[in-house]
Amino acid sequence: MSTGAAPTASAGPAEPVARVENFSLSLVRHGVRREVLHGVDLSVAPGEILGLVGESGSGKSVLALSLLGLLPDASRPEAEGRVSVTGVDMLRADERDRRPVRRTALGAVFQDPMTSLNPTMRIGRQLREVTGADDTSVGLLDRVGVRDAALRLSVYPHELSGGLRQRVMAAMAVARRPRLIVADEPTTALDVTVQAQLLTLLRELRDDFGCSVLMITHDLGVADQIADRLAVLYRGDLVELGPAREVVRHPRHAYTRALLGARLSLTGERDPRFARTVTVADEPDGTGGPVGGGAGGPVGGGAGEMAGDTTGEPRPARSPAVTISGLRREFRVRRAGVITALDGVDLTVDRGAALAIVGESGSGKSTLLRIVAGLETATAGSVRIAESTSGHGAQMVFQDAGSSLTPWLSVGEMLGERLRAERLDRAASRRRVVETLALVGLDPDVVGARPAELSGGQRQRVALARATIVPPAVLLCDEPTSALDASLARSVLGLIRDIRAELGTTVLFVTHDLAVARLMGDRIAVMRAGRVVELGEAEALLADPQDPYTRQLLDAVPTIAELDERPAPLEGGTA
Amino acid sequence: MTQLQTRLTGLAGGTRPATRTLGVHPTVRFLLRRLGAAVLLLFVLSLVVFTLSTIAPGDPARAYVGANASNAAVAEARARLGLDDPFLVRYARFVGHALTGDLGRSLRTRHPVTADLAAFLPATVELVLTAFVLALVLGALFAVSGALRWPGGAVGRGVLLLLATAPPFLLAIVGVVVFFGSLGWLPAGGVGDFEDPGPFGMQALDSLLHGQADAWADAIWHLALPSVVLAVAPAVAVGRVLRASLDTVLGMDHVRTARSKGLTERRVLVGHVVRNAIGPALSMAGLQLGFMFAGVVVVEQVFSWPGIGNYLAASIPVADFPAIAGVTLVLGAVYVITNTVVDLLQALADPRVSAT
Amino acid sequence: MSVAYAPRARIRPGSIGGVALGRPVSWLLVALLVLVTVVALAAPLLAPFDPVQPVGGLNLPPLSPGHLLGTDQIGRDLLSRTLLGIRVSWFSALAVVASGLLVGGVIGLVAGAAGGWVDTVLMRITDLFLALPGALVAIAVVAALGPGLLHTLIGVSIFWWPYYARIIRGETKALAARPHLEAARLAGAGRIRLVTRHLLPGVVPTAVVSASLDVGNVVLLLAGLSFLGLGQAAPAPELGADTARALSQLLRQWWVPGVPGIAVLVLSLVANLGGDGIRNLLPARR
Repeated sequence: MSTGAAPTASAGPAEPVARVENFSLSLVRHGVRREVLHGVDLSVAPGEILGLVGESGSGKSVLALSLLGLLPDASRPEAEGRVSVTGVDMLRADERDRRPVRRTALGAVFQDPMTSLNPTMRIGRQLREVTGADDTSVGLLDRVGVRDAALRLSVYPHELSGGLRQRVMAAMAVARRPRLIVADEPTTALDVTVQAQLLTLLRELRDDFGCSVLMITHDLGVADQIADRLAVLYRGDLVELGPAREVVRHPRHAYTRALLGARLSLTGERDPRFARTVTVADEPDGTGGPVGGGAGGPVGGGAGEMAGDTTGEPRPARSPAVTISGLRREFRVRRAGVITALDGVDLTVDRGAALAIVGESGSGKSTLLRIVAGLETATAGSVRIAESTSGHGAQMVFQDAGSSLTPWLSVGEMLGERLRAERLDRAASRRRVVETLALVGLDPDVVGARPAELSGGQRQRVALARATIVPPAVLLCDEPTSALDASLARSVLGLIRDIRAELGTTVLFVTHDLAVARLMGDRIAVMRAGRVVELGEAEALLADPQDPYTRQLLDAVPTIAELDERPAPLEGGTA
Repeated sequence: MTQLQTRLTGLAGGTRPATRTLGVHPTVRFLLRRLGAAVLLLFVLSLVVFTLSTIAPGDPARAYVGANASNAAVAEARARLGLDDPFLVRYARFVGHALTGDLGRSLRTRHPVTADLAAFLPATVELVLTAFVLALVLGALFAVSGALRWPGGAVGRGVLLLLATAPPFLLAIVGVVVFFGSLGWLPAGGVGDFEDPGPFGMQALDSLLHGQADAWADAIWHLALPSVVLAVAPAVAVGRVLRASLDTVLGMDHVRTARSKGLTERRVLVGHVVRNAIGPALSMAGLQLGFMFAGVVVVEQVFSWPGIGNYLAASIPVADFPAIAGVTLVLGAVYVITNTVVDLLQALADPRVSAT
Repeated sequence: MSVAYAPRARIRPGSIGGVALGRPVSWLLVALLVLVTVVALAAPLLAPFDPVQPVGGLNLPPLSPGHLLGTDQIGRDLLSRTLLGIRVSWFSALAVVASGLLVGGVIGLVAGAAGGWVDTVLMRITDLFLALPGALVAIAVVAALGPGLLHTLIGVSIFWWPYYARIIRGETKALAARPHLEAARLAGAGRIRLVTRHLLPGVVPTAVVSASLDVGNVVLLLAGLSFLGLGQAAPAPELGADTARALSQLLRQWWVPGVPGIAVLVLSLVANLGGDGIRNLLPARR
């Protein structure tokens, strides 16, 4: 809408591969018809990579399906405007005309590599449906970096790793030398290092096959890394469209600015105050910042004095709150022997300090956290949690807040459960619940709400409230924000920092994201294959990584060159 | 768990870790395990039937020597028949006899149960198999017409649903009243007047093998009503399950992938939907077969079908337990074997079944 | 500064996001269930005549004066017999489902919640029962115990719990895999509290829905067994048996075997519709 015919200038004389003109779309979801795209204008030039950025609910995936002509009938789509690929109307043309376009001119890579391939069909047959011959398939698999390609043809998808499956998807997408590849969040489910490889692959395929790519992502960094032009979708409106560098450097729309602002980077200031400002955005009609009524005041219980102590003191007394020594965890798996999830981990976390544990999937970071929480037992080694005046025991905040809350219990009942040991009378516990809700920036009204009635961000706040209503000796966070949109994630991270400052809680924070680790941890531990490969002060470790794996992780982080200035030695390494 | 497995797969180089560790293909191992389970089940079934026979009313010894025999004669018969032996000994003897085809003697017909079964089983198998095939066809129509939103399909589905709500004996008598009594289109019962030329003892099949067109038509004419009555309930049960799994699979990501490849809708359905959706429907079909063996008893009685069900129905009022036990054992065995076959089919359709 | 793009609060205290669509219709269907239960309870009061005594002419057709549904071959009032037959059928079916739900529910809940070898052993036993042709073996059980309503109920109940055990175990396992149980454990909930407060309330809707959808099946199964003579002894009114006894009159006086058969159809229909109603009203998953 806002940006009219701008793309034609950069696309040059060549006819666009795909064209979206004044496209509005409404769908029926849960029995209610809603317009999900409002007058979007967009075109993809031959050979260009267009990055389409938006948070969940922005309509970006629906736009991808529209281009493919695969909008689900069940949602009874009603469209205005035009969506065409190589001149064929993908909305209204007869299926006999649209199908050949998908067959010859389009390729698609979808988000979830676990479910996007047919689980009951061998890879070879799925490829043959587009290549026609196994020889061609082998060549393609080689091209997308699948080793032992000939052997893989007889394998079922569940026998491949996520990264390999996504490579197979990419091979199928380019098999017919399409004019346009529609990639819908192709890297979201992958580890950073695999993500970096796949992004490189997509760019190479563009160069080799001369096709265009529509790269849909929620991550501005990913989009900027690969795209020539960027489009930003916000609640069904195209709010920004232009050359990637331009958009990143001079965002025109407030939303793009907010998105850029919410990004966590490996450099720049770790602003402790951002939490409050973004919280206002999180709950537009909310009642102020996360520290609601009792700004900085005691929260109840024995937390009062500690709160006073820690806020004044940046580095608390050096006595360990958590001591982990020689921790091993082995899983016995039928028909596959023993796998070692933790292979001798030693760590200590000082009282009031925060340690961020970074690693990719399978590194053992979550297992470590679960053992500290007492949810799993170690094969060998020990975990000691020191009791203190600031709290006792370990509490955990889970990755998926929604499923960590009991669906049929109200917020008040769940918080009250933790107060049972305190033996408070009804008025006192009610007061305590309301105070804690205020601490996490929630209105007292949510006491009677059930999880299904809350938004994702609100659920994670409830989970935090439950963990801290009786202050724990150590707060364990298992990727608490990886399922949230960037802006929400940022406000929740800020909240955890606020609570830490408020209560003086020791924090153990597990994440796959180095930028998050930098924000949340005084120190960072990098884990790989069950071991801690590097441990150090956050800034120092990121500025001068010693272990090659840490360096590899750092290089894989998608960055926006114009905004994230990296220390000199790393600049060249970024692919 | 799946995540863990994926991880393992990754560690093992991504190619079939299970095959490497044991050297037996997972499908083969699944097959062997399933066959072992079937044998075990048959033993359990025989144990249940044998246990029931020991508590059944009527003294086999007295039945053996006759109602007027003296108590001494009965006691002597008990000893001779081994009825005083320990339970396990008697059970072992029962299994041994059953394996050699000796299921005792019917109290009602005075024939060996095995001979009775041999005489009556073919007609039942013919009826049940016809109804089963009919049920699968109707069930598939029920599901596909719903999942693909065929116009007018809703009416057919509604009628089928209503019919499946009715007790089979009501369907049978309404069928007889309407199609025999009022319209005169179909016979009221029986298998027909033609002599069965053999070798299977199934009218329709045998006459087809011998190329006897009129005998075959007559057999089908007699089969029509009972098989439809028997097929309705399983058709809806299978159809509902298939419909649900078709709906689920049609909404799955890999179907979207297949469509994005530009495959024709027919190839998408055949290659990527049906095979993935068939599993639960197969299980339900196997389960329904068990219900059909029970339901056939009622249907055979209404239609005077000369099958094992009628034999059972006649045995119940006179408490002819050897006959009842024999029928239960044989039909139960057929059921167990069919379900084993269904499971193996499922494993072939979906490689993940045997992997778990 | 405040950019309005985050999700707004969706808090509606006191309401659970259920299925709003067709709620009145669903309640109506559930009301049908209640109505049938009331009729079954009050059958002896509603019946105009003694169901086992001849009270009128033989084989009177429906709508005859004084005999709304006619009379049978020995002049008994069909309305009275049908009402009492409904009473027997309905409560028998409810009893079978209730016992199946109880036994299967306990086994499924224990297996799903305990996991490990307890789960394995219980599910092996369950699978064993599931793999036997239940309806057929039930006939053998009744034949061995001797005919009679109680024996029929025992015979059917023996084979009617595994289905529930499977469903409830599956639901329990699915719930138990959710992090909310671990979170509750960390929050200090003990074993009993975990099961009763964080597990059971999630299983109940599924159990109730599958049970209510199953009543119709049991009505049909019991009617079939009764038709074969595996029910109450002769003079007592029973829908399946009444149909079987009058089978020879089918083409002359269709209503004598037909009326009790139609009553079974009505019961099964009401049970199925009521089950659908309950399913629409309860927030069960699946």
